[in-house]
Amino acid sequence: MRLVSWIWFWYVLVGFIMGGGAVLIWNVLKKASLMPNWYEWILLVLSFITFMFMGQTFIASFQEVEPRAAWLSLFFMGVPILLMAVGLFRSLNKRYIGN
Amino acid sequence: MTKSKKEYHSTTSRRDFMKMLGVGAGAVGLGAAGVSAGGFKDLDEMMASPLAERHLPFWVKEVDEPTVKIDWDNFEMFPGPEGTLFNPASWENPKDYFDIYNRNIASTKKNVQDNVPGLSLKDRALADANCWGWGGRSGADLSAPWAGADVKANPQWEHPTMYYTPEDYGVPKHEGTPEENSRMLRTAGRIMGAADMGFVKLDEKTKKLLWGKITFENVEKGYAEPEKNKFVLPDKDLWAVCSVIPQSLWMQQYTERMSWASSNTMSYSRANIYANRLSVFLRGLGYQAYGGNTESIGRLVGFGVMSGMGEYGRAGILVSPQYGTNIRTVLVTITDMPMAVTKPIDAGIAKFCQACKKCGEMCPSGAISMEEKPFWGGDAAWQAKGIKGWYMDSKKCYDFMLGGEPDCSRCQTVCPFTKYDEAVLHDLIRISIAKAPALDSAIRKMDDVFGYGKEPDTKKTPWEIDPMDIPLYGLDNSRS
Ligand code: SF4
Ligand code: SF4
Repeated sequence: MRLVSWIWFWYVLVGFIMGGGAVLIWNVLKKASLMPNWYEWILLVLSFITFMFMGQTFIASFQEVEPRAAWLSLFFMGVPILLMAVGLFRSLNKRYIGN
Repeated sequence: MTKSKKEYHSTTSRRDFMKMLGVGAGAVGLGAAGVSAGGFKDLDEMMASPLAERHLPFWVKEVDEPTVKIDWDNFEMFPGPEGTLFNPASWENPKDYFDIYNRNIASTKKNVQDNVPGLSLKDRALADANCWGWGGRSGADLSAPWAGADVKANPQWEHPTMYYTPEDYGVPKHEGTPEENSRMLRTAGRIMGAADMGFVKLDEKTKKLLWGKITFENVEKGYAEPEKNKFVLPDKDLWAVCSVIPQSLWMQQYTERMSWASSNTMSYSRANIYANRLSVFLRGLGYQAYGGNTESIGRLVGFGVMSGMGEYGRAGILVSPQYGTNIRTVLVTITDMPMAVTKPIDAGIAKFCQACKKCGEMCPSGAISMEEKPFWGGDAAWQAKGIKGWYMDSKKCYDFMLGGEPDCSRCQTVCPFTKYDEAVLHDLIRISIAKAPALDSAIRKMDDVFGYGKEPDTKKTPWEIDPMDIPLYGLDNSRS
């Protein structure tokens, strides 16, 4: 119960970390003059949404006393996120080397 | 029902809104603080808020006919609760009933003597405590009398406005449009303990959902002569106020031992208290209220289906899109207050049952039909013909759960619709079930893979955990 009533704190913390991370990545890309093109934007947004969705399912499943569902959601959503992240990285990297 | 479908479906509850933002349950406290800070000045203001509207998620649609096929021409009225298996006389061989009953007593005693976790003396004492007020076999009967709660003033100590009627105040009875009345009742019902409400007009069809022994007479007020098994309703426009009484999902994790103790029976007990409150409320507005206890009206699942609070599922119980099968009862009170009816719904549930069969697979007694398609049945004396659904073999269930095994409600616990409401994922699944039935089999498989609706851990009991970690009344607080 205590976990439930304090959970909002973690969401706020996650929000700060995500916001900070986004600013950081933006600055790095800007410095490297690497503005994402259209499909990189799609990958970025999709992986971000899936990541948020995975986080919500993971935490909520523990609240629901369903640990198996929590860990499996990490797997089922984590793998596509990983694939998208790798694709994104490779695409950006290719352009960076090409620069 | 003057609200258009569009308006209903665009209504987003505070909780849904928070969930949509991804803020989750924790932040609901903040949301609640915001709502209460604004506050409602009176019942009128509360009724006018979207909170009092019927909330159907956008993927649940209202339909003219329920998803279970009903043959109203050949629909049999069931005589009364005394025709069910709870009455020894309705068994072909009443000795079977007493065998089961005696097995139950013997196994209960043995489990208490052996101090079996979940079935020990303290567990049974808790079960009896939470059962109190249910009535019938519990011995302590709080159920509402046929013609409404007993509201005789107590001259010893009485609140000055307790149990007054409009005549007592010298004012006419409450007058509102059917829509206003429905809203008012929905608001009052939530406050008094109903999770959801629906309203059915009694007509030539829906009257068949009443017990066959209930008759209509040309009288101003209905009456009962219980000694003659006679229950009479006035022959005028009447509506069934249907309320869903939620049971503790939290306690269901202890199925099938502790669920009996604090989930099932306490819901019956709360249902009876709720029914009394509802009848006092209606009476206080100047209207009549009949029945309302868990056995006095008739086919409760049928009223649940016709009022659109759920669909008829494989296990022969109501499956609500919001609460799944974790509903202990649909409580029905008949009133002469005009109500705006709520229509049956289609959330893809009955269709999903064809692919799912989970309750049937997990039923330890084999009572639940494994036929893929629903069928016209009802041949046994304790069943009634007229619907195309999955008829269950209640005798097997009865024999198992009352005949020595700890009480069971596994069919409710394992149903994929019976879930806490924290993860957004569940909404996506429900949308898919409603909109893309081709995925039903895959969803059922994933439900198993994710570990939902598993076998209960019979060694687990709540006695060891921090009492402050127990939700109040054991009720699921993922739904506000
Ligand atoms: S209560 Fe138990 S035995 Fe009875 S139908 Fe449900 S799962 Fe089967
Ligand atoms: S467990 Fe499956 S088949 Fe049984 S009522 Fe629930 S959805 Fe229908």
